[in-house]
Amino acid sequence: MEKIVYLDNAATTPVDPAVMEEMRPYFTERFANPMTYTHSSSGDVAHAALEEARGRVASLIGAKPDQIVFTSGGTESDNWALKGVTEKASRERLHRAGHMVTVEFEHHAILHAAVALQRQGYDVSFVKVGRSGIVDPDDVRHAMKPNTVLISIMHGNNEIGTIQPVAEIARIAHEHEALMHTDAVQTAAHIPIDVETMGVDLLSLSAHKFNGPKGVGILYVRDHQSLYPLLDGGGQEWGLRGSTHNVSGIVGLGKAAQLGKQRLPGELTRLTGLRNALYEKLTSRIDRISVNGDMKQRVPQNLNIRIDGIDNEPLLLAMNEAGIIAAGGSACNTQETVASHVLTSIGCDLKEAKSSIRLSLGYGTTDKDIEYAADVIPGLVRFLRSMR
Amino acid sequence: MDKYSRATIREFMNPSNIGELENPSGVGHITDNTDAVELTFYLAINDSVIVDARYRVAGCTALIATLSVLTRELPGKTVEQAMAIDMAHLSQVLDSLPESKWRCAGYALQAMHMAIDDFKSRTA
Repeated sequence: MEKIVYLDNAATTPVDPAVMEEMRPYFTERFANPMTYTHSSSGDVAHAALEEARGRVASLIGAKPDQIVFTSGGTESDNWALKGVTEKASRERLHRAGHMVTVEFEHHAILHAAVALQRQGYDVSFVKVGRSGIVDPDDVRHAMKPNTVLISIMHGNNEIGTIQPVAEIARIAHEHEALMHTDAVQTAAHIPIDVETMGVDLLSLSAHKFNGPKGVGILYVRDHQSLYPLLDGGGQEWGLRGSTHNVSGIVGLGKAAQLGKQRLPGELTRLTGLRNALYEKLTSRIDRISVNGDMKQRVPQNLNIRIDGIDNEPLLLAMNEAGIIAAGGSACNTQETVASHVLTSIGCDLKEAKSSIRLSLGYGTTDKDIEYAADVIPGLVRFLRSMR
Repeated sequence: MDKYSRATIREFMNPSNIGELENPSGVGHITDNTDAVELTFYLAINDSVIVDARYRVAGCTALIATLSVLTRELPGKTVEQAMAIDMAHLSQVLDSLPESKWRCAGYALQAMHMAIDDFKSRTA
């Protein structure tokens, strides 16, 4: 296949060449274990790189460097935040099982971790969302209980890209002496994030969503005492997460964060323009098409559309044959194509959910890519509709 | 989601026999909102021998590809021979259809059976 138009950046992004360049020496000549820095100059090189990366990530989200704890990525950070906080606050503060609040359309890293907590005897409330795909803070307020220890609401939804009122919900958390966690995997380096303005106590992000490598991310932890350690081991990361550092990955994350911060203002404008142009072109060329979730309060790189009368699976395969990579409502992780839980949670019926596709743009997306997608997709929709 | 064979992709990108029959001997219709399937299957039968098969469909790739190969196989077959066709056979024609897709692809056979039942009830 000669031409690939990659519109699945919400799933993952390519590593930026500058990120790759910065990572490369840490596989070979700068291979030392950073924890040996006290007695080894090689270790000191690795340690310095680690701390530089920590500073770059901190700068991206307005945090202090010692609040950045390196992890293996979004899923680990989310699991750790939910379990670490709920278990510690329950055992050490409440002396009984605590309660947490989250939303029905979170990523599975949150939903399945919350269900795991339920299995352990903790109480979890799953707040509903409406058609807009934006959580109503009042619904969160009504879900609060005297034993609520944590609220976890994602910053930007991974399927429909809607941005949640995290700052307002954080105030609700703090009024109830609960902590606030947000999964910012879809928003980090895409829209401005400031942990102080947002008032969050914990925040997850992952490098591979903004042109960094896979397998590395962070949990922002405002107060190290707020949660139990994730991994007991050699005391890395203030004893919160043992395990020899993934130095090359962390260096890549740091570089991607630095580039992401530099590029953010320009990319925010550029991608919003491209995304809106794509939507306008598609709506003018395809009838019975609509957007899932609020179009304005949405990350710039996301477009999630519903096209009546087609099934997203053959459309995505036909697009793939034409060199356009996109996604269904959700990445399918089961044996059978399932309707997206995000779309059904915002009120789509199964048929609507199965006729939706997500087009997600990234740093590598060009005007030409968008033109090509806008030219090709309508023909494929007509092809599928002609079978009816 | 299991991966489709190239044969399945080729089949669904160039499906055979899409359309209706003007005076069908039997028609089968299936609507399933859970699977987002809408399917109408038309048969033309002459002296218990199938002479033509057409369909209109909204559904998944597996179903479209299965309908395409099924309707190519039917002309010339007796109703009894048609009833003997199963998913294992159609899967083989498609160079192996993932088993997780057999349930949805099975709507093709189900609709054909309904069309044959309809034919039998008309001729009874």
